[in-house]
Amino acid sequence: MNAHVQRVGTAAAPAPGEVLLSVDNVSLSFGGVKAIEDVSFDIRKGEIRAIIGPNGAGKTSMLNVINGFYHPQQGTITFKGRVRQAMRPHEAAVSGIARTFQNIALFKGMSTLDNIMTGRGMKMKRNLFWQALWAGPAEREELEHREAVEKVIDFLEIEHIRRTPVGSLPYGLQKRVELGRALAAEPDLLLLDEPMAGMNLEEKEDMSRFVLDVNEQYGTTIALIEHDMGVVMDLSDRVVVLDYGKKIADGTPDEVRNSQDVIDAYLGVPHE
Amino acid sequence: MSPAFLNLIETVLNGLMTGVMYSLVALGFVLIFKASGIFNFAQGVMALFAALTLVGLQTGQIPFSHLINAVFGTDIHNWGDGMPAVFAVIGTMFVMIALAFLVQKFVLRHLVNQEPIILFMATIGLAFFLEGLGDLMWGSDVKVLDVGVPSGGSFWWEDVTREWAAEGSDYYGMYIDKLDVVAAIVAIVLVAALTLFSQYTKMGRALRAVADDHQAALSVGISLHTIWLVVWSIAGFVALVAGIMWGAKSGVQFSLSLIALKALPVLILGGFTSIPGAIVGGLIIGVGEKLAELYIGPLVGGAIENWFAYMVALAFLLFRPQGLFGERIIERV
Repeated sequence: MNAHVQRVGTAAAPAPGEVLLSVDNVSLSFGGVKAIEDVSFDIRKGEIRAIIGPNGAGKTSMLNVINGFYHPQQGTITFKGRVRQAMRPHEAAVSGIARTFQNIALFKGMSTLDNIMTGRGMKMKRNLFWQALWAGPAEREELEHREAVEKVIDFLEIEHIRRTPVGSLPYGLQKRVELGRALAAEPDLLLLDEPMAGMNLEEKEDMSRFVLDVNEQYGTTIALIEHDMGVVMDLSDRVVVLDYGKKIADGTPDEVRNSQDVIDAYLGVPHE
Repeated sequence: MSPAFLNLIETVLNGLMTGVMYSLVALGFVLIFKASGIFNFAQGVMALFAALTLVGLQTGQIPFSHLINAVFGTDIHNWGDGMPAVFAVIGTMFVMIALAFLVQKFVLRHLVNQEPIILFMATIGLAFFLEGLGDLMWGSDVKVLDVGVPSGGSFWWEDVTREWAAEGSDYYGMYIDKLDVVAAIVAIVLVAALTLFSQYTKMGRALRAVADDHQAALSVGISLHTIWLVVWSIAGFVALVAGIMWGAKSGVQFSLSLIALKALPVLILGGFTSIPGAIVGGLIIGVGEKLAELYIGPLVGGAIENWFAYMVALAFLLFRPQGLFGERIIERV
């Protein structure tokens, strides 16, 4: 966790190359419905990887698999060089995967500060006994983590809503708080599920800037799902395209843009 | 002041303190409901079980002695003279934590993601199991619980209030049970401690997080199983406090588990998800039923206290189902 703090100073992200996470031949079905069929791709350290596709293509299911919410029936997930066993979702978080949700999943009754503090939760080691007393070491630890959270708050420019219950915030700001909570965990891999959905142009530009800054300043590897093609093409290093649960393209934004399969998937193929 | 007015004050005070006792039970329900969406039918029996265990430890009863005697033909009942109240309370707390662990391990863990009604049925089963276990372990006789909490009417308060009455009236002074006062203080301390814990500690924050959104809580690395264990332990602790207060007031007997029924109207009034709601709901029910007894009772032949709370609850269900403080449930269709 200290490595992260050091990285803040060095502005450059590590050169993409080493594979951080690889998805191999993953299939996932619910009853008879095949959500994901035999999909393989990888995410390299330091890159921004976009996952796109029409509605119902299995993008969110894919994130849920990576994040441990769903257990695929077939295939393997290798994260940081280790093949992963079926795990409980909170273990994925502990191993260094943080995420945001398509339909914001914040703790609505809690303040911005408290929401982001929950992101630090698994880094706090003091046990229940000390916390119950809120004494000595536990208090010091709480303050240390408060400092880390304040940095995230500064970074995302949300100082003014520090004490506001997030339920009462406008949509765009809620999205930002959710990103903050994920960042506070200092993840190795950050999953963003439609971070710009429902935003106006200005908010989208802000959010894009934050995503890029996170990637460059903190060197965080990012996988994002997004529908706005302009955003996707601008932000991402590589794009994987899903359609009906199958992978139909994988490559740089330019390659993907010119792929006939992708164009067909989005515009439809005329019936013969 | 006229005796009638003093009577009113006395009734309200007693109502408030009865209300606090109801709130203590309701609090246990709210804690578990908020964190896991389970309506824990066994909360009342947990209070009974805690009180039984406390008395058993304090008086040095051997658990399951009836069973052991019946099977092995022995005649054992006690080991020594028991232990001081303080140790017995601590011991009981450990038993309640162990109970929370077992419930988590053998019941809830296997019912994750099930319908609320199934979890509710499981807690009904748990209630019957615990009641039987309590009987088997400690026997079914009515026990006296004495942990050194003062009880009985306060003469000092009687003397003070007698002075308030108009000169020459035959007012005897107000009756207030010292036990009720202690219970009120304990409840206030308990709520304050729970509030501080949930506001200013990591575990408290995690509890609130889980109460708010399971999925999001998982995504930041909070283990639901750990949280549920903690919540059930805290609910066990609240049950212990309620068990001590109710046990000291009316003896430790199996009808104690029925106080859970009185907590229902409190919850309907206050909302199932609100700790302040449980407190205020309890106070309103407590004061309401005492006042109803005083003013409406004579018109209908008395005993209004027994059903007044349920009538209030019924009215609330008709006109404000989410209670005074509960979150309004809006279903998107």
